[in-house]
Amino acid sequence: MLIPRRVKYRKQHHPRRGGQASGGTTVSFGEWGIQALTPAYVTNRQIESARIAMTRHIKRGGKVWINIYPDRPLTKKPAETRMGSGKGSPEWWVANVKPGRVLFELSGVNDEVAKEALRLAVHKLPLKARIVRREGGE
Amino acid sequence: MSEKKLPAEMRTEFGKGAARRLRRAEQIPAVIYGHGDDVVHVSLPKKDTTLAVRTPNALLRIDIHGDEHLTLAKQVQRDPVKQIVEHLDLLTVRRGEKVQVDVNVVIIGEAEPGVVVTLEAPTVSIEAEATHLPSHLDVNITGHDIGDHVHASDVILPSGVTLLTEPETLVVNVASPALQDLGEGEEAEGEEAAEGEEAEATETEGEAAEEGESKPESAGESE
Repeated sequence: MLIPRRVKYRKQHHPRRGGQASGGTTVSFGEWGIQALTPAYVTNRQIESARIAMTRHIKRGGKVWINIYPDRPLTKKPAETRMGSGKGSPEWWVANVKPGRVLFELSGVNDEVAKEALRLAVHKLPLKARIVRREGGE
Repeated sequence: MSEKKLPAEMRTEFGKGAARRLRRAEQIPAVIYGHGDDVVHVSLPKKDTTLAVRTPNALLRIDIHGDEHLTLAKQVQRDPVKQIVEHLDLLTVRRGEKVQVDVNVVIIGEAEPGVVVTLEAPTVSIEAEATHLPSHLDVNITGHDIGDHVHASDVILPSGVTLLTEPETLVVNVASPALQDLGEGEEAEGEEAAEGEEAEATETEGEAAEEGESKPESAGESE
């Protein structure tokens, strides 16, 4: 599971959700990719779940790239706790994904297998997404 | 590559407000430059231009009220979500002039069964006549087996095209399928690990706060 090895500060403000992705909006490494259409905080567990869904479908063969990294901690206060007494404890690691961002890439398998693997992976993610192909790809 | 003729209008007002007004009027703002000439700001029809720039390195003949500019689509800015063309950079070229462009590589043929073919370099740089740019370059991988590499020097080049990319650059890698972590048996191990980490986390909570290290993972897995 993806997790930062060490961080400078344990607790951060919530990442901004507005706007569109300013980079990483094209398929750069593989042949197929998953492009986000809505903003979302994608946790490391969701990234891992999507990766496993993809690799299980393509079995042995193909190559998967993960283009996002969950480097933002989100905190949560314990249940039934009164307000105040400081910020809660870190609970999740998330990647702040904005519309247009390509999250995963895939290559080395035929088109049908690639599309099905990415479709399965999209179902593990908390956002609307579409499957895109590399520009100029046949 | 065939030329596409596009009618254009000169632009007199600039900035994001003017550009947005143009886009609302089904026009695309563009700029023409090159050869040390003055920069020309134009607007192009949206539909025809979008279709014309679907091919990479499109050669466009821009007609500004009878004044024609032969140009190459140097950069196409697209909205990442809607994929509409927002702006074009057009480079002036002359017939017979050689230009340097990046061209897509396309794999043709079938490798031996049970191998993974990875396109390591999706584009290669070439120098060719502006009016005879190839739309793509082919790499034949028929009969290639595990461990074979296709370098830039192995790419099939049409006549009149010179390769600018380093000849040793790896373009296609034929490898054996890597053993993937399918996450099997992770649940049982994960639960045990989570319990262990949780115990550690409660003991070292004070230290972690001072060191600036955090382990929200243990709490997340224990849910």
